[in-house]
Amino acid sequence: MIAFVSGGARSGKSRYAEALLCRWQSERGGRRWYLATARASDAEMAARIARHRRERGAGWHTLEAPLALDAALAEVGDGDSVLLDCLTLWASQWRYGGGGSDAAGEALLAECLAAARAREIALVVVSNDLNEELPPEDAETRRFVAFLQRLHRRLAREADRVVEVVAGLPIDWKPSDDRDPETTP
Amino acid sequence: MLCVIGGTCSGRRALVAERFPLARWHRLAAGEGAAASRDGHQGKEALVVDGIADWLAAALAETPDDEVLRETWLELLDGLAAAPGEAVLILDEMGRGIVPLDPAARRLRDHNGWLAQAAVARSQAVWYLRHGLCKRLK
Repeated sequence: MIAFVSGGARSGKSRYAEALLCRWQSERGGRRWYLATARASDAEMAARIARHRRERGAGWHTLEAPLALDAALAEVGDGDSVLLDCLTLWASQWRYGGGGSDAAGEALLAECLAAARAREIALVVVSNDLNEELPPEDAETRRFVAFLQRLHRRLAREADRVVEVVAGLPIDWKPSDDRDPETTP
Repeated sequence: MLCVIGGTCSGRRALVAERFPLARWHRLAAGEGAAASRDGHQGKEALVVDGIADWLAAALAETPDDEVLRETWLELLDGLAAAPGEAVLILDEMGRGIVPLDPAARRLRDHNGWLAQAAVARSQAVWYLRHGLCKRLK
């Protein structure tokens, strides 16, 4: 099972994703993992990480994966449940913190999704919606948004569930999207 | 007329290309009216009209008066709605960020949103694209 949960800043997406993952894990058994993409780069970031950790409560095993998502996922057992929070941060670190090319980043994500499927890992990925603002003026930011959207479209295509979170409430996009020959243009 | 709306790189063009494989595509150039999009179009296949936000940005720079600008884009939409055959408009959702400090950017965002509402009002069906998935809104 793979789910993609996204929304705006402070939309409640992490909390929703945690609840979804806990539900899956309680149904399936196995261990519950938190795959943290954040680096404690300054005091504000460290406090943010500590707050998230406090809010998640006990019962989580934490792995840090600022870049190597595949290596982190390899630590997880078959059939376990994994929350990856958040992909936007991972994408910026991949692009500006020593990851590699956009194509290699997309391939790494695809590899992780395939590994999760093959190893029956329940995976919930959290990310930010950044593409419904005025198009960025500088070319570099436009390229970043394009990269992030490549990741988001791939995740949405491969996920079993895609959820938009608004003020803590879910809007289901998949499996209930309208891409149906009868209803799409 | 049909509309497909979504944010940057949301998968609008891929969806339209998939659903209308034989459509004629027209990217609006600055200053063009609906007649240019329809030029030579017989109406047998759908006409996909793209590039509206860039067209609007150019019109904004040319037209300081908001009411005149509004008339300009309404005329474009009415012309496209009257096109023979089906017109498919690709629209941009760009209203969800922080209010821009730059007045020109605010004006683009405002007119783009009003234009989208007017286009949707003239359409029989509207789809919203998000990360490659779509919802029918109308």
